[in-house]
Amino acid sequence: MSLPRSAVVVGGNRTPFAKAGGAYAAASNLDLLTSALDGLVARFGLAGRELDEVAAGAVLKHARDFNLTREAVLSSALAPTTPAVDLQQACGTGLEAVVYIANKIALGQAEVGIGGGVDSASDAPIAVSEGLRRALLAANRAKTLPQRLRALSRIRPSQLAPVAPQVVEPRTGLSMGEHQARTTATWSISREAQDELAAASHHNLAAAWSSGFFDDLVTPYLGVTTDTILRADTSVEKLATLRPVFGDSMTAGNSTALTDGAAVVLLAAPDWAQRNGLPALARVVDAQVAAVDHPGGDDLLLAPAHAVATLLARNGMALSDFELYELHEAFASTVLATLAAWESAAFCSERLGLSAPLGPIDHDRLNITGSSLAAGHPFAATGARIVATAAKLLHERGGRARGLVSVCAAGGQGVVAILEAV
Amino acid sequence: MDADVEVLAALPRLGPLFAKALAPSFQRGAARVPRRTVRVCGVHQDPAVVADYDRVCGFPLRDRVPPTWLHVLTFGLHVHLLSGSDSTIRLAGAVHVSNRMRLHRPVDAGEVLDLSVRVDNLRPHRRGALLDMVGEVRVADELVWDGVSTYLAPGASTSGTPEASTADEFVAQPPTAIWRLGADLGRDYRRVSTDPNPIHTSRVAARAFGFARPIIHGMWTHARLLAALDPRLPGAYSAQVSFLRPILLPATVGAWWRPAHDGWRAAVTTPDGAKPYLVAAVSPI
Repeated sequence: MSLPRSAVVVGGNRTPFAKAGGAYAAASNLDLLTSALDGLVARFGLAGRELDEVAAGAVLKHARDFNLTREAVLSSALAPTTPAVDLQQACGTGLEAVVYIANKIALGQAEVGIGGGVDSASDAPIAVSEGLRRALLAANRAKTLPQRLRALSRIRPSQLAPVAPQVVEPRTGLSMGEHQARTTATWSISREAQDELAAASHHNLAAAWSSGFFDDLVTPYLGVTTDTILRADTSVEKLATLRPVFGDSMTAGNSTALTDGAAVVLLAAPDWAQRNGLPALARVVDAQVAAVDHPGGDDLLLAPAHAVATLLARNGMALSDFELYELHEAFASTVLATLAAWESAAFCSERLGLSAPLGPIDHDRLNITGSSLAAGHPFAATGARIVATAAKLLHERGGRARGLVSVCAAGGQGVVAILEAV
Repeated sequence: MDADVEVLAALPRLGPLFAKALAPSFQRGAARVPRRTVRVCGVHQDPAVVADYDRVCGFPLRDRVPPTWLHVLTFGLHVHLLSGSDSTIRLAGAVHVSNRMRLHRPVDAGEVLDLSVRVDNLRPHRRGALLDMVGEVRVADELVWDGVSTYLAPGASTSGTPEASTADEFVAQPPTAIWRLGADLGRDYRRVSTDPNPIHTSRVAARAFGFARPIIHGMWTHARLLAALDPRLPGAYSAQVSFLRPILLPATVGAWWRPAHDGWRAAVTTPDGAKPYLVAAVSPI
């Protein structure tokens, strides 16, 4: 890929992530995103500054939040003349927002911007049933009282129950976990392997917290100072006692929990960062989205396996060329199935059109400061959490070390990116 | 401890107190007010109530609390002081005419607070007497907030010559925003402020005090205006407001704010901007 220039990651900020219904139960997406922005503003001295654009989004979104990101900018300490855009690509939102800003910077359309995302599973919108909604709209259009009464008379008691949002695929009616259970079976991912990955995620995240790694990546919010889902003392043995909830091996321990939180990343042109005395942690090298045949039978959450193949080919890289792999842990088995797919000669040849498998990766380079199983997964925030973490880890390594970032998303989509240490 | 300090173990419950505060004082002669300072130490803020307060008043939910919330915490002590036998002035029936508060530094919802209130500056007014309720909020020994709430007690008498009233300068202008205040707003604000005065929630009670409908608390209007300015305000500032007319619920009102040489000028007005309900000056300190 040759672009006019690359955007660099200056740094990131997020709220601690909290289990849904917990410490952030009263906080809206707007509150959470504002808090994450204000923490970033404070960290990099941006109060009152006009940035070129802020891109963010939420997956569970109220109709009143049609301009969520712009409203968060206006509630934040950024200059009110900072424009903003709402983006949404399910769980890919945060990473896609980072790519959007990075691309504008690369093209010279922006010098500095913020990408990120937020989700509150606690403050989720509740809608009225479809029948009630149609009846109310008809009554609203009615010009006379009899017309209005006729419209309202079509409402049946059963339609009065509110409808809470569900994380199900509209075309299959299956939850994400039910879809992943099929993938888990297809790829014969064992319970033990899933629990080992989950335990490693908790242990790695706990070690990163206790080493102070997150001191300049997280700002406390509402009295919460660390991720509340994190269980430093969990173990493969403890996880093995949990009852399966999806299929016969996926448990609450090796699946992500519903989470509230927000994360943002500050991106800039390298010379902007330099002029403003700010660091450059990593440059955004390239990114790729992909989608699988859904609901045609493809594994719902394996689109990143496809996206990575395209990304590697375009950049002349092998899968083993990375110092770090940040693979979003929607479920432990999603990561394991993705790794299995890259090692499978059949998958790589039949599905990716490659003459040889992409091959195995060094597991010691995978999610080394933990990932979504331990941190939690506020859907749209996860991508920005991962980018900030990966950029900091790469910068620590230096020497143009490269990292691969991968996030799967609902609808059979995936978004992946390459970062390189500055 | 100072003999003139009454220390309460906890913030008073306003319901029973307010019944006393509503009962008229039949004492005649010169108005008397308590000389005590009333104090409560070690007050923990309830994060759920702070969140509810923020929502009702339009503030983002942050770790730091709005300065008007600190006023709400001290309000129970206003009622307590003015419901005692040593006070001929009752809070119910008194009119909150102006308020000044200073936030000396951002205050976190997790901080434990010492609150105190005293009555000061009882003085004549052409319609009765004015008095100041002076509140302070401290963290350890650090003064983090202070406020002066000025009430008019109609019909109360005190010696001296009424000071010339200084009408706040108000220039009619088109509002920046239009706010729609629902009929339930008084009930919502009562929940978060614990001010049980029924003129904010009951049509009958409002009529008894000469209002056709319930009126919204002036301190809600004050808070809502600060919420509109919130992202532009520094960590320490003063806010001076005058309550000029009651807002009858439900209502549609205008609001504007503009920079001034020393901070901000702002007002809540009729929707056309012609008449003010509240005028405010906000300045960094």
